[in-house]
Amino acid sequence: MEFNRQISRRLHEEHEATLALWGRLEQTLALRGNRPPTEEDVRLLRDCAAQLADEVTRHFAFEEAELFPRLAAAGEGDIAELLAEEHETIRAAARQFAELAQDVTGRWPALRTLALELAERLVSHVQKEEMSLLPSLEDLLDEETDQALAGSYV
Amino acid sequence: MFANVARSRLLPMSVPFRFFGAAVAFHALAWAALLAGARDVPSFPGGLGLPFAALHLATLGVLTMTAIGATLQLLPVATRQPVGSIAAAKAVWWLLVPGVAVFAGGAAAYAPRILAPGGALVVAALAVYAWLLGRNLFSARGMPVVVAHGWAALAALVGLGVTGLALVARYEHGLALDHAAFRGAHLVLATYGFMGLLAFGLSQFLLPMFAIARPPSPRSAYAALGAALFAILLALGGYLGAAALAGLVAAAIHIVSLERSLRARLRPALGPAFQLVRASWALLLASLALAAAMEFGWAPPRAGVFFIVLLLPGWLLTFLLAVLQRIVPFLASVHAGAGAPLTSALSPQGPLAAHRVLHLGALAGLLAAVVLDAPWLAQAAAAAGFAGALAFGGFFVGVLLRLRDARAVAPA
Repeated sequence: MEFNRQISRRLHEEHEATLALWGRLEQTLALRGNRPPTEEDVRLLRDCAAQLADEVTRHFAFEEAELFPRLAAAGEGDIAELLAEEHETIRAAARQFAELAQDVTGRWPALRTLALELAERLVSHVQKEEMSLLPSLEDLLDEETDQALAGSYV
Repeated sequence: MFANVARSRLLPMSVPFRFFGAAVAFHALAWAALLAGARDVPSFPGGLGLPFAALHLATLGVLTMTAIGATLQLLPVATRQPVGSIAAAKAVWWLLVPGVAVFAGGAAAYAPRILAPGGALVVAALAVYAWLLGRNLFSARGMPVVVAHGWAALAALVGLGVTGLALVARYEHGLALDHAAFRGAHLVLATYGFMGLLAFGLSQFLLPMFAIARPPSPRSAYAALGAALFAILLALGGYLGAAALAGLVAAAIHIVSLERSLRARLRPALGPAFQLVRASWALLLASLALAAAMEFGWAPPRAGVFFIVLLLPGWLLTFLLAVLQRIVPFLASVHAGAGAPLTSALSPQGPLAAHRVLHLGALAGLLAAVVLDAPWLAQAAAAAGFAGALAFGGFFVGVLLRLRDARAVAPA
């Protein structure tokens, strides 16, 4: 889908980057099976952990502070609530993932299971935001607000 | 007329799921009716009877029911407009479910007097749905490609309702009309028209969403839509050979553009539902190729029945069941509440795998039964289809049970 608002495009690009990285991890883990991780796997897992930490702080916080209230005010409170609930679930899993990622080889089975769960949760969450949140912003934001939001989102 | 306008685009779960549940039940009934009338299938000449009942249990009970449930929830997402009236959406279900049951019962019993009230209920249901669909499309603000397909499907829906009523009036009152022409128009408007155009339109955003891919370019989507509309108009005008060729062009553009989109997906695993999607595309192309062959006099005996099998249980049923098995757990997870379970955890994979094998086996068996003119094989194929429908029902019930368990442990 093509978005006209700057902030929608920024969030969409971040979604694509998240999905590309976690899609790669999901495929790697599926191919690896129950075998121990390689050095490359460890690097990929750490990249994912770092990206996720950024996602759940900056990206989620911005959506919760600036976008969900606007969605709720436009009569889409149940969608805003659903997305916020998913943020909480992903945050909890991300905290656990960051802890386990400190010792990739020692905690491998649990880490692998959690990584696959996170990959699916992130995909599902991005699907919902791409279907509901971002298209709504096209209507909810005027040019001026869009510029201000894009400027404040760093 | 109808109060209770939906404020949000997210409908209460009971609205789409009542349509999906009815579709699952009619799916089993359709195969059961086919099983009961399987001896007549390979050389079916048309007219009332069990194969006719099975046909309409599949088209109205499964395809239309699924399409209505899916569009009520998904179209508002695409158009950025809530459903005009939840009460009207529920009324569609209350009219359509008994309507399909009575209509199919009348057809199975060779009883035009029963057929007519069933048909009237179905047409009333489709009229309310057409109002909801038109209202939503009229105010649409997003996804113009999907909206254009929606308008085209709505026009076909009106046409199929009119031709359907005329055909019922012929059975009941002996209305004088060119039966073959009306039957052909009704078939084209219902399958390639209403259902086909909805399937083309919703595929533009649903399949890329499932695969995490960019949708095909609007240019290719409009080209496929234009060619499809041209094909439908040619068919209605009686130029069946040219219509089939134009339909092949439309289908080829649609499939190639979606395959390109899927190739560039961000999530490597497509999932087994896409095996059914691809099988359905192959069957769509085969139906159009056979239609062209029939028109140019190259078709074998019983090609008409072979064509119907390719078109209905082949293309449309296979495609919609593929989409349904992805939508049902996805929507269930949306309604699961805080700490929602994973979509994969809500999807029982065993019944789906069994359904895939049985459904594809049933299609192959039916096609072989028609070629060989073998009623026993048609019976075996219908039995496999019935078992597949039960497996699909097991999947649907399994999703609901898992959702109930997830809700029971979800934090308030």
